[in-house]
Amino acid sequence: MSWIPFKIGQPKKQIVPKTVERDFEREYGKLQQLEEQTRKLQKDMKKSADAELAMSKSAVKISLDLLSNPLCEQDQDLLSMVTALDTAMKRMDAFNQEKVNQIQKTVIEPLKKFGSVFPSLNMAVKRREQALQDYRRLQAKVEKYEEKEKTGPVLAKLHQAREELRPVREDFEAKNRQLLEEMPRFYGSRLDYFQPSFESLIRAQVVYYSEMHKIFGDLTQQLDQPGHSDEQRERENEAKLSWGQRWPWFTCRPFAMNDSS
Amino acid sequence: MAQYHISKKQLKAEAISELHEVSVTENYFQTQWLIWSFSASFRGKPNLLDMGSLMIKPIQRVMKYPLLLCELRNSTPPSHPDYRALDDAFAAVKDINVNINELKRRKDLVLKYKKNDEDESLKDKLSKLNIHSISKKSKRVTNHLKILTRGESQVKDNTFNREEKLFRALEKTVRLCVKNISLCLQHIQDAMPLALQSVMDLQEISYNKDDEMGYSETLSNALNSCHDFAPHLQRLILTPLSALLSLFPGPHKLIQKRYDKLLDCNSYLQRSAGEESDLAKKEYEALNAQLVEELQAFNQAARKILLNCLCSFITLLRDLMLVAQQAYSTLVPVPLLVSSISEIQNQVLEEVQNLNCVKENSATFIERKLSFEKKKPVQILPEMPRQTDIHRSKLLSTYSAEELYQAKRKCNATQEYDINLLEGELVAVIEQKDPLGSTSRWLVDTGNVKGYVYSSFLKPYNPAKMQKVDTENRFCDDDFENISLFIFYAVHAFQARSDHELSLQEYQRVHILRFCDLSGNKEWWLAEAQGQKGYVPANYLGKMTYA
Repeated sequence: MSWIPFKIGQPKKQIVPKTVERDFEREYGKLQQLEEQTRKLQKDMKKSADAELAMSKSAVKISLDLLSNPLCEQDQDLLSMVTALDTAMKRMDAFNQEKVNQIQKTVIEPLKKFGSVFPSLNMAVKRREQALQDYRRLQAKVEKYEEKEKTGPVLAKLHQAREELRPVREDFEAKNRQLLEEMPRFYGSRLDYFQPSFESLIRAQVVYYSEMHKIFGDLTQQLDQPGHSDEQRERENEAKLSWGQRWPWFTCRPFAMNDSS
Repeated sequence: MAQYHISKKQLKAEAISELHEVSVTENYFQTQWLIWSFSASFRGKPNLLDMGSLMIKPIQRVMKYPLLLCELRNSTPPSHPDYRALDDAFAAVKDINVNINELKRRKDLVLKYKKNDEDESLKDKLSKLNIHSISKKSKRVTNHLKILTRGESQVKDNTFNREEKLFRALEKTVRLCVKNISLCLQHIQDAMPLALQSVMDLQEISYNKDDEMGYSETLSNALNSCHDFAPHLQRLILTPLSALLSLFPGPHKLIQKRYDKLLDCNSYLQRSAGEESDLAKKEYEALNAQLVEELQAFNQAARKILLNCLCSFITLLRDLMLVAQQAYSTLVPVPLLVSSISEIQNQVLEEVQNLNCVKENSATFIERKLSFEKKKPVQILPEMPRQTDIHRSKLLSTYSAEELYQAKRKCNATQEYDINLLEGELVAVIEQKDPLGSTSRWLVDTGNVKGYVYSSFLKPYNPAKMQKVDTENRFCDDDFENISLFIFYAVHAFQARSDHELSLQEYQRVHILRFCDLSGNKEWWLAEAQGQKGYVPANYLGKMTYA
């Protein structure tokens, strides 16, 4: 605020020692960064939750479309496979929803609450800044009077100025002290505050993924022919596809078709 | 068996002519050598000109057999023992020829339409238009409409229809699968890295930078696995399915052509058999048989591919879940209960809130303070001391029967010195007026407290009669208060049938004492007129307000 046109002047001596100022800047800087982080994290977590929900919804759609197809009507094997898949997908959706709710409760809400503290802090810092400005201004005034000749009116004005200065200085120093004391505490409190959230998030994910792994593991056991690996399936698919690509196929040829069937 | 024998030879010939398509050099050279060695054994023979004439030899021979056998049969007397065998042989050989012919017809038809499909341009299509083709098409359209309107066509093949339906269903399924699985993949690719990133960010603010840095490695591994998932899925599932999808349009034209032939056949059925109708029938049957076989094979293959892809999909998902589970598992130290989390956090937050710098500067200080307080049970209004049996017995013993009244309904205290009463509570009337002299407010004793209630809320306490506390009574009571406002009159004359009832003349004014009878029936009201009391039916009465 040094561009104010009618400034009374800056005080000659530095009223706030550089070290104190530096400390203050550092602490406040950390808190500002923390604010930024919490805000970004809140947004990201919301996006992540939405994306996860979208994923499970689209997975359910896969099995739903398969199930609603007339293809399954005659084909018992296919029908049983698709029904099993559908059950698995629906369970995945349910678990996912639960997980998202859990995360909402234990991570996103606390993040929001924590973030709502920052406006007050910023306000406090602003007030301190204002107090500092007032302090500076009055200090300059005092110094100005101190430099003048010690005549009667000057002395009176000086005394008055000193009287004005005192409460402002005290106020500033109180604010400064308060903030310097409490900002580190606030910053430190984040550890205790967020560690439970972190643990809860991790736990929710672990539970979800282990459940999913079990569900899909069971499904593969149930459906897959034993011994079929991905490579085998891939080879089989390729063989059939390359046969199919040579349309017309002339299946009257006895040796033309897929041998692997 | 003979048929198979012939086919093999013929097709071997075809295979050799297909060598031009097969680019496997080894095969080429091997077959070349075979042919060369074969032909070398014929060297010097005059009737061997080239490969072509060598190839055509089996076909010529097959066609010569019927002629040869025919001659042989004709020159054998019917009584000869061999005649039978000759006859059978002749028929068999003729069949062979017919079969080969039909087979060839099938192939020719298919190839013809395949070629048309590929090479046709608009100009070609236009040049094909002539009277004949136009008349053909118009005939087909009429037949098609006939089938649509009249129902089943006379020529039909259930097997084909089934296969075609399956074909179409498979096409739709595969298309949907491709779309849905792609979408799902998209979402997985969005969601999982985002989740992992969030975890890493949260970790950053939850822990000091110095400790526990090892976590980030596991998480970045997990991220890599996520990136692998997509190409795998693409390769194992989406590519084969898309390729499969592109195969479906192939047979479409042929199916359409078959249907055209079916229509032709249909149209000829009505008329007498002739050469044209024979041809149409043969063509239809050739195409039909061909397509049935092809579609069957294709459907089976497509189904297998689909199943394989689904299995792969499930396996891939399972593996992905495992990776994620392992990644996250390395991070959890001690699991916490959800409830304790909120307690801890609320505590911390309260401490923060209580920091002076925050407290004094909070814009919405009061609001936030309230919302962050640990949940207190909702403040219920100080429970009104309810009357207990003790109170009732006290009342009963202290006061005489005439002084005892019962609350007809719940009364809420409105003025000073009023008391609240619940329905059915017993009170003893101390005074039938209030300090201001109004007789509608009485001073009562509940055995617990003393206060004022409106007399209209009270009715004499009669322990003998069954006190039915139900809504009907309450309804009576509501109107009771309006008694001063309305006068009732008899809309019709009413004749009393007993002592309890009151006779009314038309338009006679009555004063209603009670809006229900002793048993709570709202249909009968206790009315008073000319000094007499009795019950009158409510629907005979009309309201009259003072003008």
